[in-house]
Amino acid sequence: MLPENITAILARNEDWSGEAATEPYEAGWAREAVIFVRALKQPVGPAPLARIEISPDGMHWISEGTEMRMPTEKDGIAVARLGHFGNWLRIAASFEDGASCTVLATIHLKA
Amino acid sequence: MLTRSDASEDLAEAVRRAMSLSNPALSRFEPLPRIISLDEFSRGHCGWSQLVGNYEDTLDSMLPGYAQHTSAMLSTLPHWDAGSHGGMHGSYALKIATRPRPGAQNVAIKRLTFRKRGPIRFETYFTFKPEATELTLGETDVRSIGVLFDLQGGDRDDGAERVMPHLRFLNAEGGRHLQKWQFKNETTRFQRVGNGEKTLSHYHLAPEGWQDLPGGSQRLCYNEIATKVNWSYLRFDFDLAAMKALSFQCNDRVFDMSGFESIRMPAMKNLWCMLNFCLFAETDVAKRAFLYVDSVCISGDF
Repeated sequence: MLPENITAILARNEDWSGEAATEPYEAGWAREAVIFVRALKQPVGPAPLARIEISPDGMHWISEGTEMRMPTEKDGIAVARLGHFGNWLRIAASFEDGASCTVLATIHLKA
Repeated sequence: MLTRSDASEDLAEAVRRAMSLSNPALSRFEPLPRIISLDEFSRGHCGWSQLVGNYEDTLDSMLPGYAQHTSAMLSTLPHWDAGSHGGMHGSYALKIATRPRPGAQNVAIKRLTFRKRGPIRFETYFTFKPEATELTLGETDVRSIGVLFDLQGGDRDDGAERVMPHLRFLNAEGGRHLQKWQFKNETTRFQRVGNGEKTLSHYHLAPEGWQDLPGGSQRLCYNEIATKVNWSYLRFDFDLAAMKALSFQCNDRVFDMSGFESIRMPAMKNLWCMLNFCLFAETDVAKRAFLYVDSVCISGDF
């Protein structure tokens, strides 16, 4: 049996501004995760650092420490690679007033 | 008089049933003779993917009902107070989670085609709960969970139709604990996607048009706090030849399906022999609703 691997969509065509985050995703079966964020449209304003967050319960979140600069142009991509995350994962970003980015966020998990 | 052929068929059926009952993976189901798929989520998603909406040129053309959908997850049903609940036979279940917004829905889909028009059987062990964000029972937080099929006849069939039987357990609405099975026989109007020459879309899970299944009230085992769950059994039989529901069972209750109707529409040009199965969840409050699926067995009489 080949080891499990899954691509999942964390956010599709979502317009991020202010305090933005993906829906909680459970990935406890996976040993590694690669996360991509692609700008589907030209981002507006300064591109913040997006942060990977982990959680004990899917409800309370804390920064895992990995950060990635949000894309600065249409079709630009940001990437984060993770090896230890327990079960819950999400991406969060804090945008300045007036800044925004329409994202496609995907996660690629491997057992 | 019992013929040699009858006796042979009886023996074959007895052997098939004995083998099924002695197989722990199958024994909890009552499959028809041909197993089309047996999904246990410790083996991955087993083809249950996100129901993505139609679009053309831009994702902005996707209907909002579909745009809200997210990917199903493999979950151990981990709870903040009690840890992982696990599945019936393994650690994992498929988890279909809504967003935390009243009326939000999510749908997982398995896409097949059929090779024989005849009875099929869909069986699953499932449970549902709201996200445990409050120290309350939350028994009216999940609005509904359900199953639907998306079917279409073959390309040489006379009068082929697209037929979509929908069945949901309306748990609660507006805070009222309703606990009843419903069906719907109408969808929303089709809308053109992009320039409309090739692609149409309709949101068939819109809240309008649900009707009570006669005699369809049922109280399920919800348990006593938001993080205790019990698996329930569901079985839905459908005839692909007559395109009619045959029977429906949930736990110990078998329901009369003589009043059940499917959504029906003219056949569409790219969907011949389609055999799709969907599982869905809907929340009634600003709290995520979770539909957990331990396992699914789809079988056919061929």
